[in-house]
Amino acid sequence: MIAQRKILTDEMVAQIEALAPRYPTKQALTLPALHIVHDELRHVPLDAVVEIAQLLELAPAEVQDTLTFYQFFHQDEPHGKVRAFVCRSISCALRGGEQVLDHLCSRAGIKPGETTPDGSLTVEPAECLGACDFAPCMLAGNDLHKDLTPEKADQFLDTVRGGAA
Amino acid sequence: MPTVIVDGQEIEIGADERLNCIEAARRAGVEIPHYCWHPGLSVVASCRMCLIQAGSRNAETGAVSMIPKLVPGCQTPVKDGTVIVTDSELVRDSRARVEEALLIDHPIDCPICDKAGECLLQDYHFEHGQGERRADIHAFTSRRRDVGPTVTLFVDRCIMCTRCVRFTREVSGTAELMVSARGAKEEIDTFPGFPLENKLAGNVVDLCPVGALGDKDFLYQQRVWFLKKTANVCGGCSAGCSIVTEHNQDTVYRLKPRENPHVNKWWICDEGRYGWHHLHDQSRLVEATRRGSDGFEAVEWAGVVSQLRDDLTAAGRLAVAVSPQLTVEEAWMLCAVARSIDPEAFLAVGYVPMTGDDESFPGGFTIRAEKAPNRVGVETVLALFGAVGEDGNVPGWQELLQRVQTDTIKAAWVTAGYPTPDGSWCDDQTAAAFDGLDCLVVQDLFDSPLSARAHWRLPAAGFAERAGTWVNCGQHAQSFEQAIRPPAGVWPEGRLFWNMLGRQGLYDPTGVRQQIAENSAAFAALTGDLPATGVDLRLQQLAAT
Amino acid sequence: MSESQSFEPVLLEAVGVENGHSFESYRGRGGYAPLEKLLAEKQPPEVVEMVKSSGLRGRGGAGFMTGLKWTFLPKDHPGPIYLCVNADESEPGTFNNRILMEDDPHQILEGTIISAYATRASTAYIYLRYEYPQSWNALQAAIDEAYAAGYLGQNIKGSGFSLDIYLHRGAAAYICGEETGLIESLEGKRAWPRIKPPFPAIEGAFRKPTVVNNIETMACVAQIARRGVDWFRSIGVPADPNNPRDPGSYGPKLYCLSGHVEKPGCYEAPLGITARELIDQFGGGVWKGRRAKAVIPGGISMGLLSEAELDTPLDFAGPGKAGCLGLGTAAVVVIDETVSIVDFLHNSCRFFAHESCGQCTPCREGTSWSLRMLERIRAGKGRLKDLDLLAEIGNTMGMMPGSTICGLADGAAWPIKNAIAKFRDEFEEYIKQSNPTGYMETDPVPALPILSAH
Repeated sequence: MIAQRKILTDEMVAQIEALAPRYPTKQALTLPALHIVHDELRHVPLDAVVEIAQLLELAPAEVQDTLTFYQFFHQDEPHGKVRAFVCRSISCALRGGEQVLDHLCSRAGIKPGETTPDGSLTVEPAECLGACDFAPCMLAGNDLHKDLTPEKADQFLDTVRGGAA
Repeated sequence: MPTVIVDGQEIEIGADERLNCIEAARRAGVEIPHYCWHPGLSVVASCRMCLIQAGSRNAETGAVSMIPKLVPGCQTPVKDGTVIVTDSELVRDSRARVEEALLIDHPIDCPICDKAGECLLQDYHFEHGQGERRADIHAFTSRRRDVGPTVTLFVDRCIMCTRCVRFTREVSGTAELMVSARGAKEEIDTFPGFPLENKLAGNVVDLCPVGALGDKDFLYQQRVWFLKKTANVCGGCSAGCSIVTEHNQDTVYRLKPRENPHVNKWWICDEGRYGWHHLHDQSRLVEATRRGSDGFEAVEWAGVVSQLRDDLTAAGRLAVAVSPQLTVEEAWMLCAVARSIDPEAFLAVGYVPMTGDDESFPGGFTIRAEKAPNRVGVETVLALFGAVGEDGNVPGWQELLQRVQTDTIKAAWVTAGYPTPDGSWCDDQTAAAFDGLDCLVVQDLFDSPLSARAHWRLPAAGFAERAGTWVNCGQHAQSFEQAIRPPAGVWPEGRLFWNMLGRQGLYDPTGVRQQIAENSAAFAALTGDLPATGVDLRLQQLAAT
Repeated sequence: MSESQSFEPVLLEAVGVENGHSFESYRGRGGYAPLEKLLAEKQPPEVVEMVKSSGLRGRGGAGFMTGLKWTFLPKDHPGPIYLCVNADESEPGTFNNRILMEDDPHQILEGTIISAYATRASTAYIYLRYEYPQSWNALQAAIDEAYAAGYLGQNIKGSGFSLDIYLHRGAAAYICGEETGLIESLEGKRAWPRIKPPFPAIEGAFRKPTVVNNIETMACVAQIARRGVDWFRSIGVPADPNNPRDPGSYGPKLYCLSGHVEKPGCYEAPLGITARELIDQFGGGVWKGRRAKAVIPGGISMGLLSEAELDTPLDFAGPGKAGCLGLGTAAVVVIDETVSIVDFLHNSCRFFAHESCGQCTPCREGTSWSLRMLERIRAGKGRLKDLDLLAEIGNTMGMMPGSTICGLADGAAWPIKNAIAKFRDEFEEYIKQSNPTGYMETDPVPALPILSAH
């Protein structure tokens, strides 16, 4: 008996099921399903994991195993409306990336990895974002912020706080 | 025959055998240390403890060429001419480094860890490890969290061999265990609300090479170096899994599976694993008692031998329920005793408890619905005594119940020995069937509605308190040793029957088995020394026909 | 070799072209005609032979001969066979795949379709890292255009060959760029690389024969189909005639240049350009008039070239001769003289500790241990003995000694090995200066509190 779904909307389920013909196994839908839920809810709560597992005919532990491996999906709480990844790998570090990360976090009043109390912004360190031609850089949502400076970081914070980011 | 060279020593392996280097080296008496490999699970080669040097010897020239780098012994198959080197400096250094790596963040728990004394991390450290610690000092003790009702996890002791996770995915098929996070922060865990709760759960504790997974039933009960080990067979169902009874001073502390490729491979179910507590239940019957005018009176065993015979002889026609808990030897002697009292004694198989259906798991392991170890053995013994009905079948409990209610049967000897301290194997209504008898003998571990009606109450032996042979549902016979002595004052069935047959000296189960083997085609396979994993009765039966 | 600078970009031909990413633009440059020609005129084994004889070596980091890898697929397999295109590009310093995907997605698609035809794959998954949303959009738009134009789907151009291409999104784990880690991730599990054998060509995705190829490799296949094997072999460094094991370094290569240079960017040159040439001729030289202290030759995993080694040719054989792991992704990162080598190594160790999949003991514990030692050294509590321990970790961890399942450990080891071997004096100086009372200690010292960095 399938338990009543509480978290996954019909639309999310439809999106997941629409991908099923692409793969020979249901388990291969795990990562796409996690993304679909995470994109919508900004986290994948434990109950959602159970529902995904039921949909994919897996044990919840199998889905959770995959989820936690990536150190990417938030689970306990939604991440901020804007999720900013600031690169800390070698090319960005060589051009001041770590200083920008520290600056941004201190101005936002949080430590790296945390979300602002008003839920508007999460700042996380990232490993190489693949934009070393514009180091130091940051990926916020779908926007790549290039050649970052503390000043640009301040401007970015303003737009986040103004709701425009 | 293919030849494999292990540290210079040549060994032959079977032409059709598929062995890895660990298995091949074992044949040469060389133990390659390993954590993550297990013959019953998929090969992951992740612990890297089994790294060795491998190569091949040219069949014509004899020239040896070695693979230039280390290879895992568990994932490297051997064939004719494979050369294995385990005693080189390269291999020794590699093992020392793997040990060291595992110990960097290992809690200093040995003094409080159950696994001490049977821990591979300890053993390999002494055999293969670095002489001194080189990593920074970080002394701490492990966090603990339960992963289920029967198994607990000391999180930080885990060395990430993933045997437990693979077991729940591949053998029990329940997938409750998982790895969470990545890299050096990985931990074993379950999903909240989905604990480790399958019928084979306890096997993960056996699999854990260190003290990370613990059996709550055994936790802190006994240091393992005090335990003596006896090869036994589980009495929980007709699968007849091979086990080891681990005990000290006549107290059982735990049961572990014993590897048997013919029966249970490497596993046992939880019901069998934890099914020994009844042996030490305080309410066990410990003396022979006879109903007198003022209730039950204790009777000295020497007196039981003669008085029981007198009472039964005086009563008349005898019916005997031969319990499926009895060994082949005990069943045979009981039938002989019964026929010596009443040459036309009615022999039937005793009550066979049934629960649910047979349950099979993806790895192939099966728990049987028939919750007794030796129905097949007892039936075969009864057939030897001609106790076969018109329909060609050996009579069972139901037929015995009918018979004892007729006028012909005057006495009944019911052997039981079921592990139910509340005696619920026989309810009041069933017991009432025996009301009209002149002499009712009940031989059991615990009181029951039936023993309440008996004229004779005799104590019984538990599975670990007897030596003998059981035959499982697949006609596979296993002989086992006695692990512990029964409570003081208890003559196990074997000893009582032996004496009632007038035999001299101590009860000799091996001698009885040999006698049975020599005098029956059905049990011909039981002759001589038997392999620890038992024999298939059908082989000799076919040979004899 | 100033011919490098005069080399007319091929792989990067669409960069700077208006709407260069569009189907029309690609067609206008000659795209998709080679595919049609191959479908009409050549059988799959002939296409494999074409790629094999071109000498194309995989551009993802391992440099294995692409055509040869394709021949490992079982003949007459009933299928399905899968082609996985590795767009997980996560090696620090590397961004050439990103540029190819954003600016010329159809080049990649044509190469992929040709490769699938050659390997008889019926489904291709492009495993694309999460951090490239623009690439996702560009590729998906191109895939849609290709389906609409009849270059994907059933019975492509009446050839009888059918192919579907699907994008599959990653979730920010470097190990998903490892061939079998990618496959495990695709299958929905944690990306723990598999033991080999079996190799993916025999048993890969969903237990079926699978080939995994890099994005730039696919672009090369498209260009080989268009311009020919002889053209490809006319570029780069030919195989050493005295060494039968040397497959040469043929074709153009995308070099990513970043770090302390005036003009970071992705530059196309024939394989074999030296690090010094790349920095001076393309990169505008070391920035701010400074000198280079060290240069990463091919992504951080490859280790370090010292300033004296900058004339090392960046082909498949060159960096190895200077003690580096290899050419890797040809991502060159310049580190100037003001950077502390201790900071460099800390950054490297932190990366690998964070990305280690954790499956096998030497890598899981070795990356963690080396990071903790670097943390303690930077905290002013380092010992000279730590350098010996680090060097030992560097020398014993990896696929090359046989101690690990995959090459991440080798990538973690090489920066340690090179940094300590080539800059030991600087390390010792730092340790003595920052821990004057404790640098001689050889007994174990108390660990720093467990760090939150990884």
